[in-house]
Amino acid sequence: MHRHQWAMGAAACALLLGGMILSHPVEADKPPMTGHTRGKKMPTPPTPIKPPPSPAPIYDPYPPGILPDDIDAELARVLREIDGIEQEALAQLRALPPPVLMGQPPTLQGTGKRLIQLLGKAMNFDKNISPNRNTACSSCHMPYVGFSGPIPSVNLTMVAYPGTAHFRAGKRSAQRYTYAPYFPVLDYNPTQGLFFGGNFWDSRATGYILQQPDAEQAQHPPVDTQEMGNPDTACIVFKLSQAEYRPFFEQAWGAGSLDIKFPHDTEAICATPGGAAVFGTNVTPVRLKPADRLRANEAFNHWGQSIDAYEASLDMSAFSSKFDAFLASHYTMTADEMAGYQLFDGKGNCNSCHVDGRGTTISPGQTDTSKAATVNPVFTCFGSANEGLPLNPRNAFYYQTTPDSFGFTANPLGFGYRDLGLGTFLRSGFGSAPNPNADWTQFAPSVDGQFQVMTARNAAMAPPGCTTEAPGPFFQKGFFHNGYIKSLKQLVHFYNTRDLYSFDVTSGHCPPGTTEKVDCWPRPEVPQNLDCTTGNLGLTDQEENQIVAFLQTLTDGFTTPYPDSDTFTGTCATGGTAATQGNESLIPTPPLPLCSPQVCGVPPLPSANVDGPLIPCPPS
Amino acid sequence: MTMKRLVLTLTITATGGSLLCSNPTAAQIPPPAKKAERVEITKGPEVELSKSHLTIIRWTTNNPGASDVHYGVVHYGTDPKELSQMAKNPITLNQSHPESTFRVHMRGLEPRTTYYYTVTSMESNGKSDGVKSKVRQFTTP
Repeated sequence: MHRHQWAMGAAACALLLGGMILSHPVEADKPPMTGHTRGKKMPTPPTPIKPPPSPAPIYDPYPPGILPDDIDAELARVLREIDGIEQEALAQLRALPPPVLMGQPPTLQGTGKRLIQLLGKAMNFDKNISPNRNTACSSCHMPYVGFSGPIPSVNLTMVAYPGTAHFRAGKRSAQRYTYAPYFPVLDYNPTQGLFFGGNFWDSRATGYILQQPDAEQAQHPPVDTQEMGNPDTACIVFKLSQAEYRPFFEQAWGAGSLDIKFPHDTEAICATPGGAAVFGTNVTPVRLKPADRLRANEAFNHWGQSIDAYEASLDMSAFSSKFDAFLASHYTMTADEMAGYQLFDGKGNCNSCHVDGRGTTISPGQTDTSKAATVNPVFTCFGSANEGLPLNPRNAFYYQTTPDSFGFTANPLGFGYRDLGLGTFLRSGFGSAPNPNADWTQFAPSVDGQFQVMTARNAAMAPPGCTTEAPGPFFQKGFFHNGYIKSLKQLVHFYNTRDLYSFDVTSGHCPPGTTEKVDCWPRPEVPQNLDCTTGNLGLTDQEENQIVAFLQTLTDGFTTPYPDSDTFTGTCATGGTAATQGNESLIPTPPLPLCSPQVCGVPPLPSANVDGPLIPCPPS
Repeated sequence: MTMKRLVLTLTITATGGSLLCSNPTAAQIPPPAKKAERVEITKGPEVELSKSHLTIIRWTTNNPGASDVHYGVVHYGTDPKELSQMAKNPITLNQSHPESTFRVHMRGLEPRTTYYYTVTSMESNGKSDGVKSKVRQFTTP
């Protein structure tokens, strides 16, 4: 399918809407003028003109080679898979015996929990939620890869996934959903001097309102300008009110929960991607009366809570891996898996952050004699770290420096952007989200460059018959926040040799005679706060492979089939080696301008540049 | 699960949960290790590697415990009596490892220059581990 057939929100529509919206300027949460407020009856507004389905011009600011050649076909393939799972979710909902509301406080007895999980599933695979009705949450998070990015060529090249307005794209790789609900509410522990919790790579979904960061995480992409791209949270609720699963929403969250009087122009507004110039700074262009806005906000919270329930369910966070069977004495690891486990805990030091619930020893023989602290470990410390990934010049974000047909520019900073992760969030900085706790801001310099320590579970998940490793058949993934690493072998080798093979170059410029990711690691994008727990572990090639073998025991679906893992209809690749997997896609990093003041000049400034010249501190 | 293990698990989870926040999922966070009575350097400090753009100083101590993240700190300079420059990097302790290895990156050093340095470490909240090495030296390539 040609890419021009994809975008459905028209530029002409945007102009039309611009006229409509600009001629009726509204403020956030301010009700529209009515006959009552004016003291006389106002004329009935005309029937809104639905936006024509003419395609918007494709936004393609990318140099040749950044967008993968198969992007249109692959987006279509994923949409077909999504539609199939959506129908499955609807069938599951219809087959569910209705719960009975009983007790005090009233509880949906019996199937209430399952109802909300399945409702979340139906929402997760609903492409109609996006303005162009072409992007679901699952467009970037499919079950056969542990609910991470489903398109191998995107993982190989542009890293961030196209959103509803093609081809806007985000800035980071699609994080796996699995076990995300286990992260606690983000907070700073003064005794530890550390942050724990939150969701997203930069922890910006704190959980401060819903007290569940995973539920708040589900609220961001629907209104992220480069993802699902709704211009107003009320648009999600508007789509819910039209959804086939609306009766189940009302069953779960109460009759009348979606009884909201939406203005006649809601559909037109919600068909225009967020960030469009016509909206200006207005984040609530859907003009709702205050009571309806409150109800919409409540329903939007239930959106997040429902998806969280699905993500926390055994459909997704299943604890059904070989390792779980091993903990229950139902599986005996192979020699390589066991050696990898001992290395994971010992010489590799992986479990200092990817906590496996057990104690460790690094003494000769490496026998684990400790007691288990937990029997369902999620292989993360819930903290954050800067592992020193090089800047990935293939990241689509760097190229979105010019406005699209809606007048939106994702990244005016270009290569002046640096991803400071948690540090930028604490500063409420460019490209992140507002920090809800001013007391945290002072700690930004101590966490610059840090990203969430993800669970190691399901890092190795791939469609049936495939692995993540060349020569395959392999499903190409991208690891870490910027997708620089392309295989688990490379991931372990990076931890093992980052410092040993350190070169003062950027990606694509390793010296002759060296091979990037094998015996040349470019310098970190952000040198501050570089984690030195690893970097020169002294692991042999065989030991690296054994750790990979252990990581593969953390893939769910061993004790019971992993739901919907068989929905992949694409093809896996073959050939090459895991050590150099994806190296054919390396491109030279252009000369980097200094870090933009919009990132590195925001107080409190990044710490004194004790660790490299990449982020010169502005004069104080 | 044996009763003993169950009690242990409940104790740990209850402690972790109350320490960190009210979210029950925080029960998965293991409590920090007990702080060592005395922290001593058992190996090093020494130069792990030295390149034109990067020198790494490495040393090992008994596990200092307390906060999960510690910082290795190197004070250095070209005059042994004036170690006015500082580099530091975090490490995450592995609670059951008997020893902890600190590694600190130093960039931007002058070529073919002798530097003097001493090392120390601290908890992530800045509290010193109370250990400091003698002054040593290295020469950059």
